[in-house]
Amino acid sequence: MLRVNHVHVAYGDVHILWDVSFSVGEGELVALLGANGAGKTTMLNSISGLLHPQEGEIEFSGRNITRVPGHKIPALGIAHVPEGRRLFPEMTVKENLEIGSLSPPARQKRKETLEWVFTLFPVLKEKQNQMAGTLSGGQQQMLAIGRGLMALPRLIMFDEPSLGLAPVLVKHMFQLIKDINQQGITVLLVEQNVMQVLEVCHRAYVIENGRIVLSGASAELLNNKYIKDVYLGI
Amino acid sequence: MHLLGQTLISGFLLGGMYALIAIGMTLIMGVMKIVNLAHGALVMVGMYVTYICFVLWHINPYAGMFISMLLLFVLGSLIQRYMINRLVEVDSILPENQVLLTVGISLVLTEVIRFIFKSDYLSVSTGFSGKTVFLGKMSVSVPMTIGFVIAMVFTYLLHLFLNRTDLGMTIRATAQDRDAAVYMGVNVSRVTMITFGLGSAFAAAGGSLLLPMFYLWPDIGHLFTAKAFIITILGGMGSTAGALLGGLTLGIAESLGATYISMGYKDVVGLVVFLLVLLFMPGGIKSLVKR
Repeated sequence: MLRVNHVHVAYGDVHILWDVSFSVGEGELVALLGANGAGKTTMLNSISGLLHPQEGEIEFSGRNITRVPGHKIPALGIAHVPEGRRLFPEMTVKENLEIGSLSPPARQKRKETLEWVFTLFPVLKEKQNQMAGTLSGGQQQMLAIGRGLMALPRLIMFDEPSLGLAPVLVKHMFQLIKDINQQGITVLLVEQNVMQVLEVCHRAYVIENGRIVLSGASAELLNNKYIKDVYLGI
Repeated sequence: MHLLGQTLISGFLLGGMYALIAIGMTLIMGVMKIVNLAHGALVMVGMYVTYICFVLWHINPYAGMFISMLLLFVLGSLIQRYMINRLVEVDSILPENQVLLTVGISLVLTEVIRFIFKSDYLSVSTGFSGKTVFLGKMSVSVPMTIGFVIAMVFTYLLHLFLNRTDLGMTIRATAQDRDAAVYMGVNVSRVTMITFGLGSAFAAAGGSLLLPMFYLWPDIGHLFTAKAFIITILGGMGSTAGALLGGLTLGIAESLGATYISMGYKDVVGLVVFLLVLLFMPGGIKSLVKR
């Protein structure tokens, strides 16, 4: 469904991504793992069209989207739940959800999707008229995910959804992402939280200093010596 | 006593029209994060358009206002699209280069208008320009009242537009977090064009409403830039309700100054209020509410 081929990205003279290739199949839950500054967010922003690779190609559903401008990406069926949530703090919870469904097909089903998101996150229904900035961290993360789902995406990308959440909530968050995937939505999950992610995802790629250094099924990676040494510390 | 009442009322009415101009500036400031120092020049151009409609085709200023708003919407969008947005894309030596650009635009607009119309003072005299009605012993100017009512209607319509429509929502979203708006599929450069267009149309509306009461000459724009800037600071940047309050405050302050000090010093009173606010209430009127 999503195919990234030999992508290079640089900001000015600073080369961030080197020859990155990976793919996400229809219905899969794939993780992109790596430490801070490995280039994970840059990768997602390249898919979202906020920046464009200097070299290489990004393909979605057989269509080359390498040069498609950012505002046209959601209408293709890709939703991005950004790092740090990036909600609109001075808009209500409901408005934050509504703005997730700007593309015409999502706009048409706005009411039904809103009800669906409210059943997934009852707390958002309760607080729908509150400003998003007044929610707690966990609630804000739910709102960010709900906002992504409002686009009725075929592929949803999560950028560090566990960031800043209490350990109990982190577990809940990953379970939720798994549930979303089981409803038939393809997921690309970017995380540093290696252990817990490998427990929920199908496959994973490990990215270090802008290069993919390792990939495989999650069960395989959990037993990989390098992963154990460097990321799991066992 | 009725002199004070009359002064307060006319200040209030004047302030409503000032607020309309300032709301345009606030809108642009909120989305673009720049002070539009060409705002007064846009007001001035809007006034000239309404003036021409009146002189050449005898169109009532309140009808000419709509022509002026439409033209200024187009002018503002074009300025945004072809000048300001282009500067966003290039690396600059000064981060303020967009603001400097608006100064340049202001000068060009002013001098072009001077070239066409010369520096003469112009005015429109309609049948109702000097009309007043009496509230008890207080006389209230008719064009000021009409202008105030229209300004409030426009302000309310803008409020509805920003809060009830998808396009309005995308404008607010872009003001709060530009990148996040792109993630949502908002075409940010289109939104900024529309915002600058709307801000300019509001400038034209405010100017046109003031036309029956003000002399018109090319440099009047600088006066309005200053007023809009003062109001925006008073109201706290980027807030429509704040701009409304700031506008009323400035209008009343000027009106009091004109009555009790001297007509010639009314703008000075506004500037003194501005200095006091900067010194003692740097967050604007908002900082009173938050405490």
